[in-house]
Amino acid sequence: MTIMKRRTFLGAGAALGAGLMTGTLPRFASAKAGNEITVTAFGGVWETAVRQCFCDPFEAKTKAKANIALGGPPQWLAQVQASPNDPPIDMLIMTPDLALIAANAGLVDDFTVDKLPNLAKIPKELTDSVKGKGTLLDYGVGGITFNKSKVKNPPKSFAEFVDRVSKGEFVASVPSIAYAVTPIMLIWAMAKALGGGVNDVDPFFKAMAKMKKNLVFWGGPNDFFNHLSSGEAELGIYFDGRTWNHFDSGATWIDFINPSEGGSLNGVAIQKPKNANPLAWPYLNEMLDAKNQEKFAEILSYGVTNVDVVYSEKLKPRITPWQKTVFPPYEEIAKVRNDWVDRWNREIGR
Amino acid sequence: MASRGVAGRGIDWVNVVLGAFVVLFFIFMLAPILVVVVVSFTSAGYVTFPVPGWSLKWFGHIFAYQPFVDALIVSIEVAIGATVLSCLLGVPACLYLARSRAAWASAVMTFLLSPLSMPMIVIGFASLFFLSWLGIGVSFNALLITHTIVCLPYVIRTSAGVYAGLPPAYEEAAAILGANPLKVFWHVTLPLIRPGIMAGSLFSFLTSFDNLPISYFFGSARTNTLPVVMLSYMENQFDPSIAALSTLQLVMAVAALIVVDRIYGIDKMTVAA
Repeated sequence: MTIMKRRTFLGAGAALGAGLMTGTLPRFASAKAGNEITVTAFGGVWETAVRQCFCDPFEAKTKAKANIALGGPPQWLAQVQASPNDPPIDMLIMTPDLALIAANAGLVDDFTVDKLPNLAKIPKELTDSVKGKGTLLDYGVGGITFNKSKVKNPPKSFAEFVDRVSKGEFVASVPSIAYAVTPIMLIWAMAKALGGGVNDVDPFFKAMAKMKKNLVFWGGPNDFFNHLSSGEAELGIYFDGRTWNHFDSGATWIDFINPSEGGSLNGVAIQKPKNANPLAWPYLNEMLDAKNQEKFAEILSYGVTNVDVVYSEKLKPRITPWQKTVFPPYEEIAKVRNDWVDRWNREIGR
Repeated sequence: MASRGVAGRGIDWVNVVLGAFVVLFFIFMLAPILVVVVVSFTSAGYVTFPVPGWSLKWFGHIFAYQPFVDALIVSIEVAIGATVLSCLLGVPACLYLARSRAAWASAVMTFLLSPLSMPMIVIGFASLFFLSWLGIGVSFNALLITHTIVCLPYVIRTSAGVYAGLPPAYEEAAAILGANPLKVFWHVTLPLIRPGIMAGSLFSFLTSFDNLPISYFFGSARTNTLPVVMLSYMENQFDPSIAALSTLQLVMAVAALIVVDRIYGIDKMTVAA
């Protein structure tokens, strides 16, 4: 063992510090420049799709630069809340519930056709869902994903799903309360399908009590896939787009059904923080462009919102039109969400 | 000890049970890591165990995906920066506070160690708003400051522990022989507390490098750290890249420990810690 001398120790520390300072000095400079904007994206294939489908055409048209910040909606919302007068990001990708929080807090700008010509091609209902302070870019449907090598005759509805899982015909994997979208994609969607709604989720909790012995819970999308691939569950409640991502990755035994009552629509909203760089408008307009959205849908296997989009032959059977889904009342759900979580913890506990 | 047998006196069941317990404990601890390592070499396009075939392609994918590379560089810079700053701030603080018997010194020491007892997500969230209010906002500086806050206690705790255990006579002798305070520190104190500084630095580096809850709030196009990018990737992508990245991190951590052991000696640091 070599003993480190004091001079070596101090010298190494000084060199390290100097190197660090030299290497990081450019980072101390502000990332903001007039012809640069910071846009948001989720990691992985999402980031690739955003770069190819939106950043590239934006940069080609404006000669400006779009830097991509990877992360998640709660992080971006917190950053805008912390600096509303000088937001560190110029456009937001949000879940609808957080988009409504941003809208209600006055943190984001109104979306209008004069700023965003392509907004005219987005169904008004989708823009109204976030109070006109943003709109939906794409959406997934929360339905029944199953292992078709094990489930030859899958349930076609939520009611049939509950009935057959209760009888022990299948072990089902459903999202746990730790997953942010569970109150929408499971509690509300199933309650509505079984005759309840925002103000009456008893049908959901009764169904869960009946299925109790044959349920496993997933905390994140990878858990769900592991449940199905390991055989721990045969089917479950999951998203269409993610199902097709797995299929395209080689898991050709996986399949998806939109329940006959309609699975819940889980949209991805886009917004522009107030005081953000005005260059965000042309970028957002590129996000709403039909050709760009077509390309985006092709990469991600999720439905997109421009009415002029024509899906490829591969995508057509996979995409559920948003009109065949049920549109969650996000704002009303937000008001009772805590009560649902509390009841879940008391009655289900997982 | 009656229960401890020797050869020829039958089976020593206590040792057998203890040995089995240790083996099971190690299996329990290492099996999940082993699964991740094995999965990182899969030929499948998704995470599955056992693996259907073997491939190195996911290691190639890590370096082909630029956000992983950029984030790895940021993580290393922040971890080194926070460690250096923690030493620059923490060592003088511990020298001043460790031997003081004043009540306020104890209070200050407790205050400096307090980030250890606070949920990191609270520190991250509060720091985001505070630093934004100061105008530092989402930046590398903000990330470095906040990481230093949580790394500082590790350097202080280990350095103070070593320093408090040293007889003051060494420094007194040097002073009596004519050394000024700087020389006393340079030639006597620093060499003696070095194990504590090294141990604290190692903990500090690893704490910063793996940190997610704080880095999450300061992530931007230029300051995302590896854990933040990994989380964002995992939520939307299902390939085994993350397993490959975890294996790579594991190899880096083990390599770092071997290097530290070679040039310094882990045993000295564990004594200090």
